Amino acid sequence: MRPETLAWIILLLPLASAAAITLLTRRQRRLSAALSIGAVAVGFVASLLLTRSFGALAPRDGEFLLASVRWLEVGPLTVDLGLRLDALSNLMLMMVTGVGLMIHLYSRGYMADDASYSRFFACLSLFMFSMLGIVLASNFVMMFVFWELVGVSSYLLIGFWHERASAADAAKKAFLTNRLGDFGFLLGIILVWGALGTVDFAEIQRTLESDPTALGALATLGGVLVFMGTMGKSAQFPLHVWLPDAMEGPTPVSALIHAATMVAAGVYMLARAFFLFDLPAAWPDCLSFLAGISALDIIAWIGGITALLAALMAVQQSDIKRILAYSTLSQLGFMVMAIGCAKPDAGMFHLITHAFFKALLFLGAGSVIHALHHEQNIWKMGGLAARLPVTTWTFVVGTLALCGVPPFSGFYSKDGILAAAESRPLLFGLAILVAGLTTFYMARLYFVAFAGTPRDSHVAEAHESPGVMLWPLRWLAIASILGGFWGIEHTLQTVLAPAAGHGAAGHGAAGGFFATLLAPFGHAPLAACLGLFATGFGFALAYSLYASAPAQDPLPARLGSLARWMRDKFYFDELYDVLVRVTHDAAAAVADWVDRWLVAGLLVRGTLGGVDVCGRILRLVQTGNLQTYAFLAAAGLVLVLWVMLL
Amino acid sequence: MNASLLGPELVIVGLGLALLLLDLMVPPERRRWLGCVAAATVFALCTYFIAQSGRTGEVQTAFGGMYVLDGLAVYFKALFLLAGGVVLLLAVDWTDHAGHAVTEYFVLILFALAGMMLCASAHDFATLYVSLELVTVTFYVLTSYQRDHVASLEAGVKYLILGALSSAFLVYGIALCYGAAGTMSFTELASQSPALAGSKLFQLGMLLVLGGLAFKVALFPFQVWAPDVYEGSPAPTTAFLAVGSKAAGLVLMVRLFGSVLPDLTLKWEPLLMVISGVSILYGSLCAIPQRSLKRLMGYSSIANGGLLMMGLAAASKAGSAAILFYLAGYLFTVVCAFVVASVVVQRLGTDDLTALAGLHRRSPMLAASLTLSMVSLAGVPPLAGFFGKFVLIRALVEQGASFPGWYVLIAVALAGVVISFSYYFRVIKAIYWSGETAEAPPLVLSPLVQAALVLCLAGMLALGILPSFVWEAAVAAVAGLRL
Repeated sequence: MRPETLAWIILLLPLASAAAITLLTRRQRRLSAALSIGAVAVGFVASLLLTRSFGALAPRDGEFLLASVRWLEVGPLTVDLGLRLDALSNLMLMMVTGVGLMIHLYSRGYMADDASYSRFFACLSLFMFSMLGIVLASNFVMMFVFWELVGVSSYLLIGFWHERASAADAAKKAFLTNRLGDFGFLLGIILVWGALGTVDFAEIQRTLESDPTALGALATLGGVLVFMGTMGKSAQFPLHVWLPDAMEGPTPVSALIHAATMVAAGVYMLARAFFLFDLPAAWPDCLSFLAGISALDIIAWIGGITALLAALMAVQQSDIKRILAYSTLSQLGFMVMAIGCAKPDAGMFHLITHAFFKALLFLGAGSVIHALHHEQNIWKMGGLAARLPVTTWTFVVGTLALCGVPPFSGFYSKDGILAAAESRPLLFGLAILVAGLTTFYMARLYFVAFAGTPRDSHVAEAHESPGVMLWPLRWLAIASILGGFWGIEHTLQTVLAPAAGHGAAGHGAAGGFFATLLAPFGHAPLAACLGLFATGFGFALAYSLYASAPAQDPLPARLGSLARWMRDKFYFDELYDVLVRVTHDAAAAVADWVDRWLVAGLLVRGTLGGVDVCGRILRLVQTGNLQTYAFLAAAGLVLVLWVMLL
Repeated sequence: MNASLLGPELVIVGLGLALLLLDLMVPPERRRWLGCVAAATVFALCTYFIAQSGRTGEVQTAFGGMYVLDGLAVYFKALFLLAGGVVLLLAVDWTDHAGHAVTEYFVLILFALAGMMLCASAHDFATLYVSLELVTVTFYVLTSYQRDHVASLEAGVKYLILGALSSAFLVYGIALCYGAAGTMSFTELASQSPALAGSKLFQLGMLLVLGGLAFKVALFPFQVWAPDVYEGSPAPTTAFLAVGSKAAGLVLMVRLFGSVLPDLTLKWEPLLMVISGVSILYGSLCAIPQRSLKRLMGYSSIANGGLLMMGLAAASKAGSAAILFYLAGYLFTVVCAFVVASVVVQRLGTDDLTALAGLHRRSPMLAASLTLSMVSLAGVPPLAGFFGKFVLIRALVEQGASFPGWYVLIAVALAGVVISFSYYFRVIKAIYWSGETAEAPPLVLSPLVQAALVLCLAGMLALGILPSFVWEAAVAAVAGLRL
């Protein structure tokens, strides 16, 4: 089969499955699940086949395949419905369908008791379609369309249990916050189109490579606007507030959308359109005070700040899913920071490995929650290791990978990011600090929830989840362990940084196993050693505080108000609440006045009144008197004759 | 002589006569079946004409050119038969409840239908007048059919006297035209068209003819009868009056102004535009304060007459095709509304809008049908009314390049459409949002009414979603015009 055909199948099958479930099989639960899982499974197999026929893991520089259909033509704007197949998109395809398949399978068990089982799978399929659309998009407009579709399906899934007010609110918050970022994204797209006359990635890249100043004074602004899309979708500071609340959705959703795939879309977009950000700084005159700051600088710092803030917040959370959510935020910040440091390959590598271990962690958390009848507070857990052996060992694997312990995959990808930040000492220090904090809060989570003795009667009754939920955990654990050795990094370097002529080109495909294992110490010893040191330090700290299985968190007593700030997420929600309320209420008051008096009063009621009066006056003609009618008809005819003939 | 062309009309007339005879033999409780037989025959003929409409292009004439069968005639005959069939279905249901002698009502509808079909083929002033009178005279009886209802009688008298007045104008106009041209044949008039357009006497005659036809279409300044007659007549009559009689007037106008006297049309464009614009505004404005559904439909009919007139005023083939298409959509929409009105009047005793309150609980189908037909009349996609208005306005926009006055008419039409939203949606509001109503028993619909509604709804949706079939038929039907 031709690769283009395969790509269309991968993209359209989930859509077909969503449509079929919604329209036909809502009542047949098993069939709905089978359709949805089948669509992803075929997609995964097709992605693997694509690798073979197309050779994603041994790509040639800058080559890609395009399967496109002309979608719309408005004046000079032409937009194709195009699928762009290259190593980058193929890698993402495999990750999205692979992790997606695991999570679909897991959902079969996790959601088994839910009344809206079919609706869940329909939404999942819709999400898969949208996500794959982003991955395959060959131009900005198509990416934006799927970007919004992803937002919609995320809204549907966060608010899946819409009868709970908190879920409905969280869904709304996520959607609105995302819209804010998307608005900037759209402005950015329009700006790029206005300046370059095209929205196609390949054409933009060609133009910008031949003339980096093609965007003129708007170059940096355009980059920052497009980056706003990432800020919304990948929950970067200051639009990060929606992601923790999104944990109101079912746990498989948190794993798939709010950890592994959708939130990574922002990072993927940065890598896909990296040529747009990697331009010399240029600001219009009115923003000249920003001169010298390039789009990448802004991206790097936003990523760094997000990573640090989220890690700090994670330290004082007590809800198992929220800890993981803040950890996701923090890791997304890492990826964005790496791209901001002009290393998209490092960011993407971390994206892929993070997808494995974060999906694993979320599914593990889901397994815990499932076993404890929807108890999410870690301070009511403890001693889970004895009751849930498989969940525990897989969770530990995920934790080690996240903390960056060699030889788990996270070590290699995080090392790449630390190495990328080496050139900027401040960011580098920040990244090391975050690495330490990551280990600290994950170790805290482990000690409190899994080690020690049970704090609640539920734990004693907990049973390991069914096999349909455990097997995805095992497979994802394997992926989390081995992710660093599959040559992903090498592939990404070849696509995203072909010119760099990387010093450590050996690690990945060429060198032996041990060379790969130890490669980070070879090419960036400082980063690797400091990263490991931070990890060890964080663990030691957590061990001293939590290994004794305290009944309460000892940290607030030691840190005082700082701990409270961390727990209350630095009051961002409250700040936004006030800000939104003040500006929103003011705007609403003005709009209300305009609507009440100008639109409704003068325009609508005025027009209506005028028309109404006309109608009532004209109606007087209609007396019901036959003589009048005959007279009117004759008079009318005479009038016509007089006008026409005289 | 090519009398076989008249076959369909003869079938209808023969059917009417046969029904009159059968009426003597069939026991009263079985007479409704006569109506069903009539409806079935009419639908069968309609199918025949729809199948025929593919074979346009060949023009056949009979009786020395007094009768013509061309694409335009075939299209309109299919339209009339469709309307007649649905109205007969409705009439059967109506007579079931009205308790009058029933067969005459069916027969009169058939005779009016035959008259309309002859109008579509009229190719001579004599045929024009006779066929139009066949329609009008039949309608005098149909409007006053409820002898025991004062409103019905009043409607009949008003229609009779004003109709007689307009017939007088018409026949006087025909006389003057004959005086000026020396012929009543459309074929010969067409050959003298450029010369006649300059003759004052001929123009005077044609203005009177236009007046007579404008009465049928309910156009300004001959619109005053419509609301009163629509309100008073039995609902099936009103439905047929609103669709059939209007279309009969329009087919004659399209033939006269599009095919026979194109030079006059171009000269009279301003007049046609004024008539059209004033009718739209008059109908739309007067409809606002109305409380009675049938009366409201009367004003809506005036406004829609104005909209249809825009297509004629455009003096282009696109405009005439738009008239044809709009009429097809209008047929389904208006008949649908009157089916609902008929049931409502009979069961509730009034067609005041307040009586519609809570209709959706008593009969969801009636409420949905009326809602859809109002929405279609207002011109909301994806219903027939939207595409109809679209092609009409598009025809005007195409003309707009030559003379900016068209844009004024477009603006007037759009204003009329906007105003019309307020009263069409008031009907919908009256159904769904008029507060809590007392518990009312559900209205059970007879299968005939259901069939009629389903047919109308299907037509409305089909013309809105897949307009191309009918639009292409309309374009083919006007291919012979000389505009």
